[in-house]
Amino acid sequence: MSTDRHIDDVKAGETLDPIDYPITVYRLVMEAGANRDFNSIHHNSRYAQGTGAPDMYANTLFLMGMWERLVRDWAGPGATIDAIRKFRMGRFNVVGHTTTVSGTVLSVDPETRRVTIEVQCADEQGVTVGPGEVDVTLPPRS
Amino acid sequence: MTDPWIRDWDPMIDLVGTDLSDGEIRWGADRVEAGTIRRYLEPIELGSPIHYDLTAAQQYGHPGLVAPATSLLAYTLPAMWSPGQPTNFSDSAPDAQPDRTPINNADPGPAPATTGFFATDMEIDFLRPVHVGERLGSRGRRLLACTPKETRVGRGAFMTTESDIVADNGDVVARMRTSVYAYNPHPTGSNA
Repeated sequence: MSTDRHIDDVKAGETLDPIDYPITVYRLVMEAGANRDFNSIHHNSRYAQGTGAPDMYANTLFLMGMWERLVRDWAGPGATIDAIRKFRMGRFNVVGHTTTVSGTVLSVDPETRRVTIEVQCADEQGVTVGPGEVDVTLPPRS
Repeated sequence: MTDPWIRDWDPMIDLVGTDLSDGEIRWGADRVEAGTIRRYLEPIELGSPIHYDLTAAQQYGHPGLVAPATSLLAYTLPAMWSPGQPTNFSDSAPDAQPDRTPINNADPGPAPATTGFFATDMEIDFLRPVHVGERLGSRGRRLLACTPKETRVGRGAFMTTESDIVADNGDVVARMRTSVYAYNPHPTGSNA
């Protein structure tokens, strides 16, 4: 995904291509090593269940990374990610399920080239994270 | 009449608006480098060339490979163990926890002791991109809110703090508001 998206090409209401993230133990372990959140709730079923969770679950930076990939794949390498807001983890993203991240353009400001995208994660039972917002600045066409 | 477990949080609620940190910058263990960027991107499978290809990054005006925006917090985390420190693994039980970890609730201030802890909300303003070679740290932990609440996993409180992520050249590169739920799990078999 290396094609730039320009501010002139974007309209409010446009949807971003959703991305599926199967949550496996293997992936959770890779993610813990990658972002240094080694809390056992994210890679140990028995430990996670002892804290009241149904099973081990995705950590915060894994979920935020899903949002970043969704937006970066859509916006291209010329975009700047400016802010993430309302990133609310309402339910656990539990091992053995698939988290799907999706988004819709909420607003476009041609003057500042700022685009606000509504983003959320969901599993088979509904929304798990968000809906929140990501602000990006897109390049002009020329 | 307020439940006693809720009143236990009053000393923490009294600190809302104050900085819970000592004001020092807590520096990450490592500078931003290409290998840790790659490892961060592997499980999320993000392939933008600004994170992998120096020439591409420079074509987009960056002086070096770009750290993923959401990775900045990871670069502020200190080492799990450093030379001269005692072992971090003194218990052989399968689920034993390390003696020290930067991701915990080990400095709760006057809050009551809790055994469960997870993040619930985050908001981040990214003030500029971060590149390979920079070192990041976190500064400040201003308590914005503390709300005791019983949930399906236990009894505790939601706490929101605000911190800056700073670079070693002095720039504030991000501002972050983090909410966590610190709690004691319901006893096993409880229907709460």
